[in-house]
Amino acid sequence: MRGNMILPLMAFLPMAGAIACYLIGRISKGARNVAVFAVCAVDLAMAAGLFAAVVGGRSAEFCWDGFCGMGLHLKLDGFRAVYALIAGLMWFMTHGLFAPVYFESHYRNRNRYYLFTLLTLGATNGVFLSASLYTTFIFFEIMSLTSYAWVAHDEKEAAMRAAQTYLAVAIIGGMVTLMGLFMLYHRVGTLEIDEIYIACGKVTDKGPLYLVAALIAIGFAAKAGAYPLHIWLPKAHPVAPAPASALLSGILTKTGVFGLLVVSADILPADAAWGRAVLIFGVITMFVGALLALFSVDLKRTLACSSMSQIGFILVGIAMSNLLGHHGGLAAHGALLHMVNHSLIKLVLFMAAGAVYMRLHKLNLNEIRGFGRGKPVLHFAFLMGYLGIIGMPLWNGFVSKSLIHESILEYVEILRESGGAWIPYKVVEMLFLFTGGMTAAYMIKLYVAIFWEKNDPETQKRFDAMGKTPFPAALALGLSGLILPVLGVFSNRLMQGVAGLMQGFMRSEGPKEVLNYFSRANLIGAAESLLIGAALYVFVVRGLLTQRQKDGRRVYVDRWPTWLDLEGLVYRPLLERVLPTCFGMICEVLNHLADWATALLGTCGTALARLMDNLFNAKAFNAVGTFFARIMDEGIDTLVLGLWHGVFGRRHKREAATVGNRFTYACGRLFDRIAAFLNRTLRRKHPIEANFVAAFAAGWDEMRANLRRISWSVSFGLLLMCVGLYIVFAYLLM
Amino acid sequence: MWQYIVLLLPVILPVAAGLIAWKIQRREARNTLVGVSLVANALLVLLAVLFGREELVLWQLTETVPIYFHVDGIARLFALLISCMWAMVGIYSFEYMRHEENENRFYLFYLISLGVLIGLSFSGNLVTMYMFYELMTLMTLPLVLHEMTKEAVAAGIKYLLYSVFGASMALFGIFFFFRYGASIAFTPGGVLTPESMAGHEKLMQWAVFAMIVGFGVKAGMFPLHGWLPTAHPVAPAPASAVLSGVITKAGVLGVIRVVYYLAGAEFIRGTWIQIAWMTLALCTVFMGSMLAYREGLLKKRLAYSTVSQVSYIMTGLSTLNPMGFVGALLHIVCHSVIKNTLFMSAGAIICKTGKTRVDELRGIGKQMPAVIWCFTIVSAALIGIPPTCGFVSKWYLAGGALNLGETAFSWIAPCVLLVSAILTAGYLLPITIGGFFPGHDFDYASLEKKEPGAVMLAPLILLAAAALLIGVFPGFLIRFAEGIAALLM
Repeated sequence: MRGNMILPLMAFLPMAGAIACYLIGRISKGARNVAVFAVCAVDLAMAAGLFAAVVGGRSAEFCWDGFCGMGLHLKLDGFRAVYALIAGLMWFMTHGLFAPVYFESHYRNRNRYYLFTLLTLGATNGVFLSASLYTTFIFFEIMSLTSYAWVAHDEKEAAMRAAQTYLAVAIIGGMVTLMGLFMLYHRVGTLEIDEIYIACGKVTDKGPLYLVAALIAIGFAAKAGAYPLHIWLPKAHPVAPAPASALLSGILTKTGVFGLLVVSADILPADAAWGRAVLIFGVITMFVGALLALFSVDLKRTLACSSMSQIGFILVGIAMSNLLGHHGGLAAHGALLHMVNHSLIKLVLFMAAGAVYMRLHKLNLNEIRGFGRGKPVLHFAFLMGYLGIIGMPLWNGFVSKSLIHESILEYVEILRESGGAWIPYKVVEMLFLFTGGMTAAYMIKLYVAIFWEKNDPETQKRFDAMGKTPFPAALALGLSGLILPVLGVFSNRLMQGVAGLMQGFMRSEGPKEVLNYFSRANLIGAAESLLIGAALYVFVVRGLLTQRQKDGRRVYVDRWPTWLDLEGLVYRPLLERVLPTCFGMICEVLNHLADWATALLGTCGTALARLMDNLFNAKAFNAVGTFFARIMDEGIDTLVLGLWHGVFGRRHKREAATVGNRFTYACGRLFDRIAAFLNRTLRRKHPIEANFVAAFAAGWDEMRANLRRISWSVSFGLLLMCVGLYIVFAYLLM
Repeated sequence: MWQYIVLLLPVILPVAAGLIAWKIQRREARNTLVGVSLVANALLVLLAVLFGREELVLWQLTETVPIYFHVDGIARLFALLISCMWAMVGIYSFEYMRHEENENRFYLFYLISLGVLIGLSFSGNLVTMYMFYELMTLMTLPLVLHEMTKEAVAAGIKYLLYSVFGASMALFGIFFFFRYGASIAFTPGGVLTPESMAGHEKLMQWAVFAMIVGFGVKAGMFPLHGWLPTAHPVAPAPASAVLSGVITKAGVLGVIRVVYYLAGAEFIRGTWIQIAWMTLALCTVFMGSMLAYREGLLKKRLAYSTVSQVSYIMTGLSTLNPMGFVGALLHIVCHSVIKNTLFMSAGAIICKTGKTRVDELRGIGKQMPAVIWCFTIVSAALIGIPPTCGFVSKWYLAGGALNLGETAFSWIAPCVLLVSAILTAGYLLPITIGGFFPGHDFDYASLEKKEPGAVMLAPLILLAAAALLIGVFPGFLIRFAEGIAALLM
């Protein structure tokens, strides 16, 4: 163990705290809440300290050789410090301040919940501070498993199903990533992130590296929620308790992005082919996520799908940075800042959703509409998140979206000048703006429904009577909401500073020129997006996605076809039915191969003996042949049978009635019917009186008994052979 | 003189203790004797391993064939592992066996098997090993037969026949080594010299393959794994634990001795034997997991899991390179720890609730949280979730396979290992999940705590902790295994 001890403490202190809180919680719930607050606060303080150190230009490392075999290696740099700080902040807001209020009406298993929450905090810190992929993977897997408890917490059917999906995706993704790590280690001989960068730079044959990169990326992309591995995300986020959803969405997805950044910036830096692949998946993720969000009528599901969409934006940023290579400074800044912004925005939005859910226990827009009226803190927080995520100038989302947008334009420009195929990228750019518009549309839908529309008078009266959000939760909401415009307004100072700290992680030196975030082009881009959004809201959301009821009120309807669900359509049937059945049958065959071979050998042996019996007709041979055949045929059988009846006879009684099986029964019935038919027609005088069902059943049983005896006898023969071999052995030794 | 005695004592003491325990009628007295002798034996083995003489000739069978002990690295590893596991399971069994009949007979054979197994791991040549190997089969048979139900008897006979058949295949090889090897003593790097087997290389390859398959029977390697899923579920839980966790490793020990100490890795590397062996091992890995995934009976599921996991070890051994070998040795230890814990947990569930099927286990975590926590930790270890021991061993196993170089196996093997790991998650985690997350409509009111007593729980917790600790600090084991590997390759 050497280096700065604060770094491992960031990972292990919350884990130790988790166990401590669990034990405290068995005695007193109140003390447990205080302890959780303390752990979160200490973690936040340490993270802030580390962040301050990094801002002051220092860095730190920690090595623990031999930990889990290859050692634990943590490191502090700009990116890691920022994410440690964000993690600390998010945990503090959600579980230090918000959760105790949120869980007031949830009674069961809170202790378990906090245990796993704090374990996840430690593991997440570990992922973000890791300096080698081995360390990353260790913490990543711990995090995947411990965060399961969040998704399954409610234990309702939907939650259990979502949790199952989550776990399956996590485990399968993790194993695929592990395969990639095996191969990477085998190929370049190291998993230290900095060394990977150097070693992969020296590799001349890039072919295998693509495979390695793709394998590693799969596990991380699954965690990030990239299409087509996003299936867990829209299901898991809504069922988890709101504080946990905020973390799942805001920070756990970012651990996936962390891995993708390592792959894109260290294994295949500035690689255009890789960039294109990421771009394709990024654009699909971005668009599909927004589309799903637009159709959703469930508050948390909308936010979850929105997360998926925003991850798509980040992926586009990463892809552009790879495509642009040396000129990728803009894109790198955009991707990194969008990560930060999305974390902070989703923190606010999911907590706001939690503030709704903890009162109503409902999330459907038609049921919760109007809840936000007259609740200023909630309104403020949601509004900030809403303006942030749609990219309104002066809020933080605007900066990062503009940067990514600008980088696409830059690439189009470069391609145009060099005569490359720029049209697809122009399409990407348009899709980017359009998706921005969709973001605005679904957020307006939520905002209007919750804060402006009125529910039916009775319910509305009940809503209005519900007091404001209680103190610590309101504080968390207000503070988290306040961060967004502050970052946005002082973006030239704050955002640029943060991006400058983080860019080293993407091996980027930042944009070449001094940026003006509020340039004309950026403002126009934002305006276009927002106009598209307004149009979409008016025509699509109001027009297509609502329905006027008899009493004249509009209700939101879910027009997304239920069958159109990648998980239900492809993954589950494949993994639950097709593959286990196919391979299961093969394995069953393999499993019984030896048994069947024995039985076959036995049958053949007996048949052979019978054959010999019949063949040796000549008198001289007859006696000898019969003798041997008898021995082979009957001798051992008799012996085994004798043993069986003598030694074990008392222990089992022959079943009284023979039953047979389905096949013999079916055959028997068939024959019985034929016989009955014949009795009525051809053989009226001499009717057949046999009961074929019983006869076949008896025959079947006898056959089975015979087969068993045969296999006994063959086994016994083998035993005797062994004895014979011993004698030979003894003879040889003499 | 005492250095000789210290080698002999671990073999003799358990046998003697077993014979005495057989005749003690009072349960407390007998349990004390058994417990003390198990722990004492573990300490004795430690002594023997640390200070014992390397060699001890017991008896000169013929002029050239002695029956003798030779304590090398592998012997040390196995002897320590076996005695520790035996002690853990033995202590656990006191509470479990209270529900069974014929406890005394059980402890008689349980202790004798321990002596025999220590002898097996100390054996210095093929004949000695063969002797103890057959003895082991015979002495563990009563553990399978214990309940004397129809299934138990049938399973016992199946176990006997498979084992004897396997041993006879091994015997077949012994003749050839006797004839064409330079000696039959276990020599790192092998006893086959070009002069000694001139002209009979083909024959020797067949002999080695027969021995691998023969010893592979005990290790549950396809196609002769059939006894394992039959015999393990019918035995009482402590017996299934050691059968699965330890006895299967005796087969692995046989294979290690044959491949690395008689034939030599060089003799096999690149031949059809390696390919066939690895194919069989990988088939078993996948088949075992798949069948476990489809199996509904908890103990049978664990037995299939053993089939799969022991072949992880076989895969590692069949790579014939140091990394794979280290992985195999690590996995021997890990699987032993893990599978003992899993079977002991299953036993605790059966003993306290009477439930044997996986689908009956909903809410079991609320009834016996400590047991299911242990179960969960070792499940994660078996899947290979860091930071548990299974992760480290699988890292080495896959690394060994990748080091094979330009054959298709270099990527097929890691793929199969990982697919099997996914299946492992599929057949183990639902038990934990159903146990701890029984659903919101679960009837908490009628919940009874059924946690077993401290004596039953302690070995479980110790072994689960070991699975974690070995995973976090595997350094000493890796160095030890690398030391052995360096001698062999």
